Amino acid sequence: MSTQLDLKELERKAFRSTYQDGLWDLYFGLIVICMSIFIYRPATGYSPVNMVLLSSAMAAAYFLFWAGKKFITLPRMGQVQFGAQRKKRRLMLIIVLSVVVLIQVGFVLFQVFAWLTPNVGESLNSILLERHLMNLVVAAIGALFVGPSMMLIAYFIDFPRGYYIAVMMMMAVFFMIYLNQPVYPIIIGALIALPGLVLFVRFLQKYPLPRGESPHEHAG
Amino acid sequence: MSTPGRNATLSDLAEVDRLVHEPARLAIIALLYVVESADFLFLMNQAGLTWGNLSAHMSKLEEAGYIEVVKSFKGKRPNTMLRLTQVGRSAFQAYRQKMKRVLDGLPE
Repeated sequence: MSTQLDLKELERKAFRSTYQDGLWDLYFGLIVICMSIFIYRPATGYSPVNMVLLSSAMAAAYFLFWAGKKFITLPRMGQVQFGAQRKKRRLMLIIVLSVVVLIQVGFVLFQVFAWLTPNVGESLNSILLERHLMNLVVAAIGALFVGPSMMLIAYFIDFPRGYYIAVMMMMAVFFMIYLNQPVYPIIIGALIALPGLVLFVRFLQKYPLPRGESPHEHAG
Repeated sequence: MSTPGRNATLSDLAEVDRLVHEPARLAIIALLYVVESADFLFLMNQAGLTWGNLSAHMSKLEEAGYIEVVKSFKGKRPNTMLRLTQVGRSAFQAYRQKMKRVLDGLPE
């Protein structure tokens, strides 16, 4: 192994150490659970109230993630800023995800347009409804909206557990739509969060709060 | 019997920067080489050093001008980050080249 490779490995190890706290897993798990609980409302459907509740729950999940990083992880693990290559990857992620979202929006608009077109809409309905495929197709499309995006995130932020989360998220969305039951995606959300919880406990054991001297009192 | 090539290797070894060569300092410099900046606690955790040990090595590296301490405030809290200076970066690169030459020159 060359010296250059060793340095790359050192950088990767330092970078991936920031995922040791399991907070990302907990965050994504909570997002799936929030979606499962608040989107599934057979009585009211996709009402504005559900959307407000979902947004609030997701904001609360993000707040927990942010507070965990700020008040638990950083005081134990310390702070680090990575080099230009990492910043470039983050920028690439934003660009690629924007393109993916645009494609998804375009796809949805195309579908709506197709459904509103009398001949096309009728033939689509007859094919899908007669064969009881409507739920399956919508569930598959929903899963395909979520999974690849999460895989792209995992790739660009160099987060190997993200691929597992992506597969689990795909399954969660698929079951949420296809089976129209919140219990399966809630279980899947818990399966995403569980490794995070284990990692979080391990992290707290491995990195106790430094006693005595504050890291900020050093040198200068 | 030494060859001219072997002599060059040995003289390279004698010229190796001892400030960088010490294992704990080498770990600190290598870490700071691959990141933009890091605080004391992060380096301590990553390098597996104790507080006192890291502090002593940091003082030496700072005296040599290899690292710089960047102080700022995040809100009301002081925030101290450490980064490798250009001198430190060049010293590490020179060290790597020398060590590579030395190690490549050794027989299998």
